[in-house]
Amino acid sequence: MILERFNDAAKRTVYSLQDFFVLAGKAVGFIFVKPFYASDAVQQMDAIGVGSLGIVLLTGFFTGMVLALQSSVQLKTFGATDYIGSLISGSMIRELGPVLAGLMVAGRVGSGIAAQLGSMRVTEQIDALNTLGTDPIKKLVTPRVLAALIMLPVLTVINDFIGILGGNVIASFYLGKPSSLYWKTVFEQILNGGFTLRFIPNDFIQGLIKPFVFGGIISLVACFYGLNTTGGTEGVGVSTTRTVVTASIMILVTDYFLTQIILAIFQQ
Amino acid sequence: MTDADDRRKQQEERRHPSEKDETAMPRRAHDSSRVRAAIRSELEEVAEQTEHRATRERVAANRVISLESIYLAFDEPILENVSFDACEGETIVVVGESGTGKSTILKLILRLLVPDQGRVSIDGEEITHLTFDDALKVRQKMGMVFQGAALFDSMTVYENVAYPLREHTTLTEDEIEARVREKLDFVDLEADRVIDQLPSELSGGMKKRVGIARGLANNPEIMLYDEPTSGLDPLTTATITYLIIKLQRELGVTSVVVSHDIRSAFRMASKIALLANKRIGFFGSPEEMTGSDDPYLREFLGGF
Repeated sequence: MILERFNDAAKRTVYSLQDFFVLAGKAVGFIFVKPFYASDAVQQMDAIGVGSLGIVLLTGFFTGMVLALQSSVQLKTFGATDYIGSLISGSMIRELGPVLAGLMVAGRVGSGIAAQLGSMRVTEQIDALNTLGTDPIKKLVTPRVLAALIMLPVLTVINDFIGILGGNVIASFYLGKPSSLYWKTVFEQILNGGFTLRFIPNDFIQGLIKPFVFGGIISLVACFYGLNTTGGTEGVGVSTTRTVVTASIMILVTDYFLTQIILAIFQQ
Repeated sequence: MTDADDRRKQQEERRHPSEKDETAMPRRAHDSSRVRAAIRSELEEVAEQTEHRATRERVAANRVISLESIYLAFDEPILENVSFDACEGETIVVVGESGTGKSTILKLILRLLVPDQGRVSIDGEEITHLTFDDALKVRQKMGMVFQGAALFDSMTVYENVAYPLREHTTLTEDEIEARVREKLDFVDLEADRVIDQLPSELSGGMKKRVGIARGLANNPEIMLYDEPTSGLDPLTTATITYLIIKLQRELGVTSVVVSHDIRSAFRMASKIALLANKRIGFFGSPEEMTGSDDPYLREFLGGF
């Protein structure tokens, strides 16, 4: 009995994974196949990028400030508060910027996509698209995936800058360090990280590959759960929750493995 | 012998020249008569076969939708040995108790579902094994009206009706607008009043009518309706029923309607298919249905 249940659950998981990867393959493949719904992609870029700007600005600024505040306590014991800019820059660009932007977008945009597609599923709008001769993946999933792949790195760059600016505020007003010194250590950190192809800082590569991958994870997970919604409006709620939980966990787990891989490749 | 008798005799001879020969050469005449009879018989047979084939082809060509021995199961069987045809211009109404797989039939016709056994053909072309892209092309021949209208929430009425035109035609924006207005007019909606409204601003009946207009936008040869009158007041139900009849009469569209509403079904149906116990329990005209002595049918029709 228990074995049977385990068997069923394992089968369901394997089928779901298969469906997920088929969806991912089609969604990415359709970027290069006509008709391409460019206006939908631009609309989604606006919703994902511009729509998430406020929440990303707030998160980045306060994270930068709190990071500077906490670090200053440790740095004071070593008398190394001059290097606070270096610490904030490294943390924000490599880790906190991409992960926080990813988590914020997963909460705000991922849930929105899942709820929207879930509602379309339960009100037969997805079937209507099919009957009108449109592939729902091409029309709904591809523009969202493309928009997320482009906009998450953009949001991360903004998040990084605002976070470092938040650190600057604490460094100036709490620690009394001049801004020039702060920004000097920020750039030193970036330059010390090394370069790829002579002029691309390794920190930037690390900080841009991650949000690109996270953008794909968020949009695909949200579309997958949204399109597979069953059980009416209650089902829409379930899909939304699953999206946020799954995408957040996947972001954190993927972040670890990506860091390992990127360090192995770029940080000799 | 009069002149008239002479003329009659000449005419007789012209009409049956062989008989004259027969008197002259009895044996040869007998042989040629047998040959002629054989040829005549052969020709008649060929003519009969040709006529029979033509009739068969005519019937087959007329058959727009054809379901043959459909078997479909998910966890348990939904449909077993379901067969029926819809010929050009006919309105087939599928009735039956809730949960008997009526809407599933529409999904099979649209090839949103593939049967485990059996064939579904549209215009004589089997669609059961089509690829996803080819199925999309076949669906362009059809218009579908959903139970809840399924209008796209984020689009206005205009954009909803224009959607299939923008997707599958190369019409200019002016031509699209003209077509949208024509279709809204056909479903008795004031285009100027509703064109910029969102679906959330429309009543249930208006949504259904916009749904019909969207289904009609591409001038499909087949219209499918899933519970077109459910949840509507009697007046709106009558309007929607009238629209479906109008579509059949004015545009000759072949329709399959899934409905619970037996009164409307009798008004619009060329033929009624009753789905019971996963099978077609009855298929025939409304008159045949009311005239039937079948106990289940009598019970289903109730007081009607």
